[in-house]
Amino acid sequence: MKNASEKIVFTGSGIVCGAGANVNDIWNVLESGETAVGPYTQWDGENWPVKVAAEVKENNRTLVPDRKLHKTISRTDMFGIYAAEQAIENSGILAQRDALPEDKQGGFNDRTGLIVGSGGGCYQSNYDYLPLITEAKGELHDFGKELSNQVTPMWLLKNLPNNVLCHVGIRGQLKGTNACITNQCASGIMAVAESASAIWNGEADRIVAAGHDSPFEPEMVYYYHKLGLMSDEAPKPFDKERSGTVFGEGAASVVLEKEEEAKARGAEILGEFLGFGCCSEATGVLDLSPDGDGVQRAIEQALDDAELSPSDIGMICAHGNGTPASDLTESIGIREVFGEAIPPVTGFKWAYGHLIGASGIADLVMTLEALKREMLPGIGTLAKVDSAMGDFPVSSSSTKPASQNALVICRGFGGMNVVLAVRV
Amino acid sequence: MASKEQRRIAVTGIGLVTPVGNSTEETWSALKAGKSGAGQIASFDASGFSTTIGAEVKGFDREKAVPDKKLLKFASRSHAFALAAAAEALADAGVAPRPEDSHRWGLTVGAGMMSVAYDDLKVIHDYATDENGYFDADGMLNPDFPGNPVNFCRWQSNAGLGLLTKQFGIRGYATSVHTACASGGQAIGSALKAMRRGQCDRMLAGGFDSMLNPIGISGFCLLGALSTDNENPTGASRPFDKSRNGFVLGEGAGFLVLEDWEKAKERGANIYAELAGDGNSLSAYRITDSPPDGNGPIQAIQQALGDAGVSVDEIDYINAHGTSTQMNDRSECAAMKAVFPDRIHDSVRVSSTKSSMGHLIAAAGAVEAAVCCLAIRDSVAPINANHGEFDPDCDVNLVLGEAKPGRIRAALSNSLGFGGSNSSLVFRNPEEVSA
Repeated sequence: MKNASEKIVFTGSGIVCGAGANVNDIWNVLESGETAVGPYTQWDGENWPVKVAAEVKENNRTLVPDRKLHKTISRTDMFGIYAAEQAIENSGILAQRDALPEDKQGGFNDRTGLIVGSGGGCYQSNYDYLPLITEAKGELHDFGKELSNQVTPMWLLKNLPNNVLCHVGIRGQLKGTNACITNQCASGIMAVAESASAIWNGEADRIVAAGHDSPFEPEMVYYYHKLGLMSDEAPKPFDKERSGTVFGEGAASVVLEKEEEAKARGAEILGEFLGFGCCSEATGVLDLSPDGDGVQRAIEQALDDAELSPSDIGMICAHGNGTPASDLTESIGIREVFGEAIPPVTGFKWAYGHLIGASGIADLVMTLEALKREMLPGIGTLAKVDSAMGDFPVSSSSTKPASQNALVICRGFGGMNVVLAVRV
Repeated sequence: MASKEQRRIAVTGIGLVTPVGNSTEETWSALKAGKSGAGQIASFDASGFSTTIGAEVKGFDREKAVPDKKLLKFASRSHAFALAAAAEALADAGVAPRPEDSHRWGLTVGAGMMSVAYDDLKVIHDYATDENGYFDADGMLNPDFPGNPVNFCRWQSNAGLGLLTKQFGIRGYATSVHTACASGGQAIGSALKAMRRGQCDRMLAGGFDSMLNPIGISGFCLLGALSTDNENPTGASRPFDKSRNGFVLGEGAGFLVLEDWEKAKERGANIYAELAGDGNSLSAYRITDSPPDGNGPIQAIQQALGDAGVSVDEIDYINAHGTSTQMNDRSECAAMKAVFPDRIHDSVRVSSTKSSMGHLIAAAGAVEAAVCCLAIRDSVAPINANHGEFDPDCDVNLVLGEAKPGRIRAALSNSLGFGGSNSSLVFRNPEEVSA
């Protein structure tokens, strides 16, 4: 948590999702009100109850040019490596290192951390074993015998949940404090919170935080649909007619460092990290507390950590995943904190779908852009706000943030709620 | 960092489910005796795999260990280990979240890879593949497809976290990490930091894993990381021995209860040790290879010592990562020799308890942290079992033959993961704190 004597700032960001592969392109989608959710191409969805997603459209080699690297990474890793290296490039931290005398570079690397929030893995990676099951006619003995003839020796390495941490670390020689967070939806946003905490704690001078995920795959769609969590069109967060969420895929990343150092090297400062809150509702894997308990407490913790009062907040980027229960309880939690004086609220999943492990950090990157432009994009798919939420300040049109301080809310399985407080 | 006034953190509870025992004391007795938990894999037909041996948890009664039937339904094998070990740790500490303080309780876990059960994959195979076994998504839409959302929930990366917070009513900070074999150590390090910054007053911290299933073991067999001494399961894991040839896959869970030192003292809690320091680095070398010169692990150990304010002269026991692979053990010894040049050959006792338990992967660091606490409590270092042939690269002061008694002022636990994450933890004897 906060160490008031030192300010922590964001000095670089990177992002890729269905709406684009850089902040500007994605901003244009948010501003246009036209969702990037559409028919998917990774398998034939004709017979599927859900036919849409927000797929990343860029070519693999455009995102990660190194052909050899693709042999040892999976799709989600490719997004993570792309976003993290974009953020590193934009921040200029490695250029700063490379300008140092050679004997100082090792020390710089040891003080540069990397914290990644990972989706944790994909069902699809296990499909590499399906032809082997056929070959073995379902007999385990033969499955074992034929294993090395049918499956690549690289299988485990390709599917390590901490692959982005490994590869970005090796490629950039980032050797300091590190973690790979596998906390479902909260993974990416927790990477940012842990990074700030580690800098405040003196563990590193600068940290690259990233989150990546590719939840869009048949089993995820199948089971989310069975659980009643999926819509068959772009999500409509906080709308009376909302019917569920839609998957996106992608990654986002930010570089955090001490303001003093960022200023000294003349880095462009994208915003300031003020504080965070993190709590569980202790409701199990899927259930949500009906009174918005976790949302409320995570916001209160973040405000307390940031030494702000509710009236200081100028905008909220909500989790707003478009499912009936999550949006309702989120609005209740927000109201518990702000009463009738709720600042303008928006959310971005209507535009680029639900990135699960990368969702919170992607929302952070776009929130920083909204603060910079002093413009809060509307929820493009919103038609009529759910009256059960009372007078809830969401809109389909854009508005101006009421101040330079924003909250980013991220919720996930396991009753998780994480809130960041940031400003420009 | 050590100069800064920081909150002191006590370890007041331990819970273990391991291949050598389904409780803390059973495990600890086995480790002091150097008893092996390895054998031929019994939970599935492993006869066709290049490695047929493993260190399985034995005689574990899921129903008895997890009385909540609804929760148990959602629990994978490793989740059940976690729920049982966490329950033991809380009972041992004699404290548990209550409604009035549950928001000040936190949880950090090192969770295993999202390893799918073979039976679940078989269902996909039987319904959703073509004649050559290639996936065909539309097969899942067959109305008879028996796919079950409960199995799906088990697969979610933070399912274990969700079950643990619910079972024990933990409503504060909660997180789940995975840095392969360093996961458990990093989870405990994350808990230390969260407590120091005042985010929680008490925490449950640990790790759990079970890759002893057809899909889990396949990945390691393909990589050639496991010992293939199928005729000699109990001697296969021999860390630091010249003839070592891979690790023995284990499974299990370990949890610690961490408390604010003053709060623990106030309630008269039994304090095993102070969780004094955490070090955390990335080797940034290669994905599976360890840096031969120890660059990476060295920084983690030094940071942990610095963070704890413990000098190299105060460490009396090191629970090494010691996986029993050629490269890991050489790299770790290089690091230990670099940090403790004057004491590593004769005065610091070193052992890898993986020689008995096998490698518990994401749970390893947490279980071995608990081992350090028990070693401090009983003033004894457990055995580095199965050591026969001396390796000049690994000429450290191993605990051979029998457990080695002697007071331990401070202990170090190393965890070095695939991907290059290194975690080191320092535990201080509580008598050294009052002194």
